Amino acid sequence: MTTNEEKKKRTEMLVEMRKERRETVQRAQELLKAQQSARKALERALTGGPHSVPQLAQAVNMPAHEALWHIAAMKKYGIVAEAGTDESGDYYLYRLVKEA
Amino acid sequence: MPEEIVNTQAQNPKEDEPRIGVYVCNCGGNIGDVVKCEHVARTLERLPNVVVSRDNMFMCSDPGQKMIADDIKEKGVNRVVIGACSIFLHEQTFRRTLERAGLNPYLYYHIGLREQVSWVHHGTPKEATEKSIRMMAAGIAKARNMKPLEPVRLPAHRQALVIGGGVAGLRSALDLARRGLKVTLVEKSHYLGGHMAQWERVFPTNEEARPLLKRLIDQVLAEPNITIHTGAEVIGAKGYVGNYNVTIRQTPRGVRETFPNEQEAIDVCPIKRRKRFDFGLSTSKAIYRTYTGCVPESLVIDWETCTKCGECVKVAPEGMINLDEEAQEFTVDVGAVVLATGFQPYEPFYGEMGWKEFPEVITLPQLHRLLDDEGPTQGKFWWNGHPVKNVAIIHCVGSRQVEGVHRAQPDGNVNNYCSRVCCTASLSMASLIRQKAPDAKIYEVFEDIRAYGRGHEDYYTRASKNNVTFLRYFAEEIPEVRRADEKAEHPLLVKVRDHLTWGEEIEIPVDLVVLSVGMMPNPVQDLMEIFKVTPGSDRFLLEVHPKLRPVETAVNGVVLAGTAQGPMNIQESCAAASAAASKVSALIEQAKVELEPYVARVDPDKCQGSGECVKVCPQEEAIELKTFSENGNTFQRAVVTPANCNGCGVCVSACPNRAIDVQGWRLDEYEAMVSAIAADIPAWEGAA
Amino acid sequence: MSTNQIKVDALVVGGGISGMQTALDLGDQGYKVAVVERKSSIGGKMIDLSKVFPTLDCCSCITTPKMSATAHHDNITLLTYSEIESINRDGNGFKVQATKKPRYVREDDCTGCRSCELVCPLEVSEDEHEFGRTSHRVVYVPFSTAVPQKALVDLDHCLFCGKCIQACPSDAIDFTQQPEPVEIETRSIVLATGFETTPINAKKEYGAGKLRNVISGMMMERLLAPTGPYGRVLRPSDGKMPASIAYVQCAGSRDQTLGVPYCSRVCCMYAIKQAMLLSGALPLAEITIYYMDIRTFGKGYEQFYQNAKAMGVEFLKGKVARITEDENQNPIVRVELIDEFGKTRVTERQHDLVVLSVGLLPGGNPQPKFGVPVGEDGFVQVPDYNVFPAVTSQPGIFVTGAAAGPMDIVDSIMMAGAAASSAASYLEAGNGSRKEAQRQPERSVEYA
Ligand SMILES: Cc1cc2nc3c(=O)[nH]c(=O)nc-3n(C[C@H](O)[C@H](O)[C@H](O)COP(=O)(O)OP(=O)(O)OC[C@H]3O[C@@H](n4cnc5c(N)ncnc54)[C@H](O)[C@@H]3O)c2cc1C
Ligand SMILES: Cc1cc2nc3c(=O)[nH]c(=O)nc-3n(C[C@H](O)[C@H](O)[C@H](O)COP(=O)(O)OP(=O)(O)OC[C@H]3O[C@@H](n4cnc5c(N)ncnc54)[C@H](O)[C@@H]3O)c2cc1C
Ligand code: SF4
Ligand code: SF4
Repeated sequence: MTTNEEKKKRTEMLVEMRKERRETVQRAQELLKAQQSARKALERALTGGPHSVPQLAQAVNMPAHEALWHIAAMKKYGIVAEAGTDESGDYYLYRLVKEA
Repeated sequence: MPEEIVNTQAQNPKEDEPRIGVYVCNCGGNIGDVVKCEHVARTLERLPNVVVSRDNMFMCSDPGQKMIADDIKEKGVNRVVIGACSIFLHEQTFRRTLERAGLNPYLYYHIGLREQVSWVHHGTPKEATEKSIRMMAAGIAKARNMKPLEPVRLPAHRQALVIGGGVAGLRSALDLARRGLKVTLVEKSHYLGGHMAQWERVFPTNEEARPLLKRLIDQVLAEPNITIHTGAEVIGAKGYVGNYNVTIRQTPRGVRETFPNEQEAIDVCPIKRRKRFDFGLSTSKAIYRTYTGCVPESLVIDWETCTKCGECVKVAPEGMINLDEEAQEFTVDVGAVVLATGFQPYEPFYGEMGWKEFPEVITLPQLHRLLDDEGPTQGKFWWNGHPVKNVAIIHCVGSRQVEGVHRAQPDGNVNNYCSRVCCTASLSMASLIRQKAPDAKIYEVFEDIRAYGRGHEDYYTRASKNNVTFLRYFAEEIPEVRRADEKAEHPLLVKVRDHLTWGEEIEIPVDLVVLSVGMMPNPVQDLMEIFKVTPGSDRFLLEVHPKLRPVETAVNGVVLAGTAQGPMNIQESCAAASAAASKVSALIEQAKVELEPYVARVDPDKCQGSGECVKVCPQEEAIELKTFSENGNTFQRAVVTPANCNGCGVCVSACPNRAIDVQGWRLDEYEAMVSAIAADIPAWEGAA
Repeated sequence: MSTNQIKVDALVVGGGISGMQTALDLGDQGYKVAVVERKSSIGGKMIDLSKVFPTLDCCSCITTPKMSATAHHDNITLLTYSEIESINRDGNGFKVQATKKPRYVREDDCTGCRSCELVCPLEVSEDEHEFGRTSHRVVYVPFSTAVPQKALVDLDHCLFCGKCIQACPSDAIDFTQQPEPVEIETRSIVLATGFETTPINAKKEYGAGKLRNVISGMMMERLLAPTGPYGRVLRPSDGKMPASIAYVQCAGSRDQTLGVPYCSRVCCMYAIKQAMLLSGALPLAEITIYYMDIRTFGKGYEQFYQNAKAMGVEFLKGKVARITEDENQNPIVRVELIDEFGKTRVTERQHDLVVLSVGLLPGGNPQPKFGVPVGEDGFVQVPDYNVFPAVTSQPGIFVTGAAAGPMDIVDSIMMAGAAASSAASYLEAGNGSRKEAQRQPERSVEYA
């Protein structure tokens, strides 16, 4: 649908915007980097089987509330799902939703 | 009676093949936590004529509605079956969805999966899911047979009746009149203003009540659209929304208007009666004025005590007083009715915290009269001829009652509700007492202080600053009031276990005990029967839904205003009254109303004119036999007047020829539903 | 007339429950109404709630259909994500300047399909809807029942990677969008600007917002809502299911030290409601409510309170003096208790989670823009408070809902009817009323 012409224009616009808002873009990029590495670490930990939030926090060396924040987001977008509770019954366990 | 009646059966252009859309709502977990909604949707998907079957978190939300609308437009869905919360909540919502999508709004059937399934079977999810499937299947069966319908459209009177002339009724009338509607206001007593006129002042503004009220009344009087009848009562009504014919009974006032030597007429009257306006704290003659400046202002005769001795007639100007005036009845045509019949203060039973047992026990309404400059003591805080030095105000008398602790009302129920105004009203009186008697000891004996509203908490803080002593009791341990020793300085003792100071049992010596009594609804059994409205378990008139339709009753065209609905203060009563006016305006402002099309319909080909239907019909003028002629033959056929039919269906069962059906609820629809409930439906394989 | 010029009978400022109901009540009576809402969706605070007292209806079941009805009403024009800039009296009416803030998504083209959101790589946590406890992506549809169901871009976090542009099937993303001025000519204005809650960090005795497991009543609403951040009640520090939950009443109300002497009127009831919902969600949890007075004054409210007591919710009269936490971030509540037998003692109790029943503060000062004075409490002043509760001191300007003082939903809806009625009376009275001609000059008041 989109012609090359349009695509080019669009890319130019994006480059322009990035320049214009250099500061916020840079901050966003840093945030993204940190977020992606955290997510990767969590996903790696979860490949070993279901974990609770404190277990994950320990495994990836991250404060528990941050781990919870990531898990909530990952759950919202269907990356992880609940998998029952731990032995104490105090914490839910989370597992990776496998790619189809 | 309006004649113009519009057909109730919509054009049914072509008998389309039913294409049914099925929608199962999770109701944000209300249903979905119990019923496996996805399973229900998937199972029903394969039933004949179902073209789409879906479940959703919130069917009633905009995206949910859009989904239905899109299916109608894109998938050609022409019948809609929804399993969701109660039909009362969202029938209108979904009808509008269909309408917007271009489908006749009556091609939709609603199943209450929340009230009928998830809430009652929350312990058995499997069975609940099974039941939902069957109920929905029955709905689908009905949908296959549904026909488009049109509401009954009728002209309506652009006139409203307001019953009750307290602050709520007055405010409703004013708003309606200002919207250009004609209003008839009927007040039972002989003066306007209701209870508000009796208060010394009103919280939270500390305004004098009567001048404030007078300003409102003056505005009402200035409205040419309002006709006021005081001393009048509604004794009957016929009709339905848009077209009520109401009968009003006018009791005579006895006195035509104000006249110069009124005092003389009062003085010669030999009868003394307890003055209700002062809650019995004073007396008046049988010819009296409720209060100076009341509206209408002229004197009035109390027929209960008047002996018709004629003394007053002798001194009054000729024709001014008529003791033989008869009550009159007349009717008005109105489109809607506002019930603003108000409250009455709770009447303690004999001995309840010393009530009637000791003369030093009064109620909060009486205290208002006592402290009023125009009251029995001209505002002096005196009782029995002595200044009051110690006073205890006991809260929650007749409110927040606990079953097993408090004595029940005649209907067997205790008043387990909070009356909402008495806390702040008491605190406001404590403030006034402090002004009038700087050295008095004032005790507030309470459970919780509910100074909730704007400006209310100030009274609480001020009372604490003013050295009012607060003692807290629990409902399970009601304070006791008893007589002190004869030689004691103060005649009464109030015993409280005070939970603010270590739970000690304390006895406080007082000269006066004030019972902060709550509110009970004015008894309006007659009006409830006339207009077929119902009370809640607290006996106040019941709204349809506190959030969705807070001022409407289950009867279309009858709305509530003020404390007839439940305890409220003046501000809240006025807001409610004004909201009621809004609803009435929206209803009849256009001079037309729409009624549900669920009325009887006769198939002229099957009708043999037996007249059985006419015999059994409980409604007036709903069905009759009419004579027709065709090709020289004359014959009789039953004819329905949709406006008068309430769709009860008695005629359907009486007809020997099966010629009558109730539209929207036809026998073939019922039969299909019953078969569908009994039929087995193969379960969805994806089930867990 | 261009779409940026709107001519209406009434302008409703604020699209919460009270604003929507006012608009519907006026619209149903045939008046043209515009609703200006500053957020990206209408619905107000109510859309964030779980279930609502006293009926325990699911909140969405009450709000979302009203949102839908407002959006589709023939007589109502909706302007979301818009701000009022200025208001000028103009003859009998007002000329109002408003600005439609850029969503960076063309509203007319967006279908709310969320394709953009799904490809956006970055998540940010300042989601006003979830109170920072979870995330949304940089481009997002505010929530699943939002009206309008349209995406917007949080430009301050945007990477300008262009993924959303590629993903959008209707080419709706537009980073070049500018604020759009809108001119509204109206004959009357209804303020329905609602309230804010006491900030969680308002009180240093209660941890000044630093204790992770001390949350506000509003956050608990989100935890309990089916659309909430975790879909369950988990405590924020580590995701534990709390076994012991405490409520601190009047946290931010009836408190001279915070300059909020008034009662916020809804917090007793919402705490009791949440306690009931919690006993359903976490049947084993112990729930305690520390209170000064329980103010369950509305229709059916006292019974609600009694039911909660019967369900085993513990009510303790006492003033919470301080909240601290132990090494496991369990909050410790120091309270002056008055027990059933009236003994007062100071104790410390440990809980898994503490909820501050925060109060209601004015949602902003309308004085500068609308010329409507506020009372000592900061809420819109109402001169004839008792009899005309929706009429402000400025002719033609009315007020409804929590903008006129703390108020629950039942009262807000009631008040909306009142505001609509008062506005209608005003519209009919002057301004060349349609109804004027029908009025008879003579008085027909008759007394009996
Ligand atoms: C002790 C006390 C003090 C109070 N102090 C305050 C205060 O300071 N500030 C405040 O805001 N509120 C106060 N209130 C509350 C206030 O009185 C009420 O909110 C207000 O009076 C309610 O008005 P209403 O019109 O609903 O009812 P009402 O005042 O009861 O009026 C109802 C009217 O309907 C009439 N009526 C009844 N039945 C019929 C019938 N069948 N046909 C025709 N007419 C009928 C009655 O005669 C009456 O005139 C107080 C209440 C009490 C008990
Ligand atoms: C934790 C909690 C739980 C509650 N639970 C319940 C309950 O169970 N039952 C109940 O009845 N009540 C409950 N309430 C009370 C309920 O939230 C309020 O009664 C209700 O939201 C008030 O509605 P409103 O429309 O007046 O205000 P709001 O909901 O605040 O809406 C105001 C709207 O106006 C917008 N706005 C503000 N200023 C402007 C401006 N200048 N320009 C444009 N738009 C503007 C806002 O963005 C908002 O959308 C609860 C409250 C809290 C805090
Ligand atoms: S308002 Fe106060 S005195 Fe009245 S019933 Fe309620 S708690 Fe009791
Ligand atoms: S409603 Fe209850 S918690 Fe809220 S301020 Fe009033 S008394 Fe305190």
